[in-house]
Amino acid sequence: MNVSPLIKEFLEKGRSESCPVIDMHVHLGPFQGIYFPNPWPEDMIRTMDRCGVKMVVSSSHAALIDSRENVKMAEVVKKHPDRFRAYWVINPNYPERIDKEIVKFSKMEGFVGLKFISDYHRYPLTSPRYEAALKYANEHKLLVLMHTWGNSAFDSPALVEKLAGKYSEVTFLMGHSGYGEWEKSIQIARDYPNVYLELTAAYAVNGVIDWMVKEDGSNKIVFGTDLPWFDPHYGIGCVLFSRITDKDRHNILHRNAEELLKHYL
Amino acid sequence: MKFFDCNACFGTFMHRPIRFAETARKLLREMDFYGITEALVYHARQCDDSPVVGNDLLLNSIDGFDRLHGSFAILPLQTGELGSLESILENMRVKDIRAFRAFPAEHKYLMTRTALAPLYDLMVEKNIPLFISVNESCGGISGWYLIEKILSDAPDLTLVVTEHGCWGHDRFFRPLIEKYEKLYLDISRYELDGGISDFCGKYGAERLLFGTGFPRWNPGGPILTLAQTDITTKEREMIASGNLERILRRVKL
Repeated sequence: MNVSPLIKEFLEKGRSESCPVIDMHVHLGPFQGIYFPNPWPEDMIRTMDRCGVKMVVSSSHAALIDSRENVKMAEVVKKHPDRFRAYWVINPNYPERIDKEIVKFSKMEGFVGLKFISDYHRYPLTSPRYEAALKYANEHKLLVLMHTWGNSAFDSPALVEKLAGKYSEVTFLMGHSGYGEWEKSIQIARDYPNVYLELTAAYAVNGVIDWMVKEDGSNKIVFGTDLPWFDPHYGIGCVLFSRITDKDRHNILHRNAEELLKHYL
Repeated sequence: MKFFDCNACFGTFMHRPIRFAETARKLLREMDFYGITEALVYHARQCDDSPVVGNDLLLNSIDGFDRLHGSFAILPLQTGELGSLESILENMRVKDIRAFRAFPAEHKYLMTRTALAPLYDLMVEKNIPLFISVNESCGGISGWYLIEKILSDAPDLTLVVTEHGCWGHDRFFRPLIEKYEKLYLDISRYELDGGISDFCGKYGAERLLFGTGFPRWNPGGPILTLAQTDITTKEREMIASGNLERILRRVKL
C-alpha cells in the first residue's frame, strides 16, 4: 500500500494537523435536485471538523437563484469568522441589478470575490452581462470562481481563456477544472498566471490529478467539494491517492488556497 | 480493514481511460497501491466487445490470480451465442464464476422478461447476483427507470447497481431500496456528504457494497470516505467486504 505519512494520518484520524484543508468551492442550504443530510452552516462545520477542513469559501444555493440572497452569506461569515468566507453570485438574468449589487458587495465584510455559474444561468462567460462585474473584479484584484465544464456553450475552458488575458488582475478559479476538457484546462492554467484549476468533481476522474501535476506542477490547483454536496473525505481521498508527492498534496489541499486568501484571513 | 472491490475492470478499452490496468497483474499492482485485498472484476472486452469474446478473455486473464474473482457478461439466450443455460452454469461451476454483469446499451438487448426470463429465473434460483451500472440504457429506458423495470420483472433478483453518480440520487433509489429487499448499491460514487451514514441509519449497512469503478474513477475517494464515515466498525466492515462475501457465498452453482 502507498505509505505516505499524510495518507496514513488521514486514514487513521480522518484529518491532519499538518494539513488543514481549505475548500475553495462550497455552497450552503437546500437545493433543487438533491437531498442533503447536512445543508446548514452548523451541519457543515461538523463535517469540516470531522474531515480536518479549516476554512471554506461559500456561495449559498439561494443566491444562485436570487442574487439578493447574497447578503445572508455575510451573516454566516460574521457568525463563523474562523470557518467561512463567501463569494457573491452574479446572475446575468437580472442585468439591471448588477451595478447595485456591486455597490452592495463593496460595502460587505467577508466576501473574497465573485461566483459565476453560467451553465445554470444560461449566459456565456463572455456575455456583456458579466462585463461590469469583471471590470470591478479586475480593478480590485478579486477572486472569481466560475463553474466550468468541457464543451459547454456557456463556460467551456476556451471561454475562460478569452477572459484570462483581458482581465489579467482577476484570479480565475476554474470550478470543476473544465470537466472533461482536461488538456485544454491544463494548458490555460499553465499559460495564464491568473488561472487556477479547482478540483470539485474533477478529482473523481482517475488519473486526472496526476496529469495536472505532471503537466504544470501543483502550484495552480486548489481543492473544492461543493459542500454540502460531497463528503470532503471523498475528494481528499482522491488527492491523497494520486501519484503525486506529499508536497503536491499539501499545495493542493491548503497551501495554494492560503496564498490566494492571505488578504482575507 | 479488508477492502473487497465489487466493481473493477481491467484490459484494453476502445476508449482509453486516463489511467488503467491492461492486465490482471497490473490491476493487482493498482489494488496494492490502494490497499484493496480482493476484487470482483470484469474485462474491458466483456463490455466493449462481444461477451462471447470477453468472457473467455476474462477467464484466461485471471487464471491463477486468487485475489481476482470473475463475473460473466450476459446476453439473451435466444441467439445461442452464449450456449445453453446448462452450459453457462457448467462453465461457471468449473471456473467458480459467481456473478453476472449486464451491458444492454453496448450489446443491444432489452432487459425484459421476454428477453431474459430463463436467465432471471436462474439467477433467482441460484442466488447469482447481477451487476449493472445505472448509466446503462436499453430500448429507450435508462437510469433508475431501467433498474425499476428489471426489479419489477424479477423482484427476487439480487441486483447490484453500480456507479450511481454523485449529483443527487437518493430520491431515486430510496423508494426502490424500500420495495426490493435484494437491491444493493455500490459506493464508488456515493459522495453525498453524510449520505452513507444517513443511509445506514435508516436501512442498515447490508445494502451497500464497497466498489471503486476502477479504472474510470479514483479509488481513493470511496476508500477514505468509508474509512472515516460516521458508522460503526461493524457496519464499515460489512460495506468494505462482508456484504459482498456474503452475497457470493450464498451463490449455489
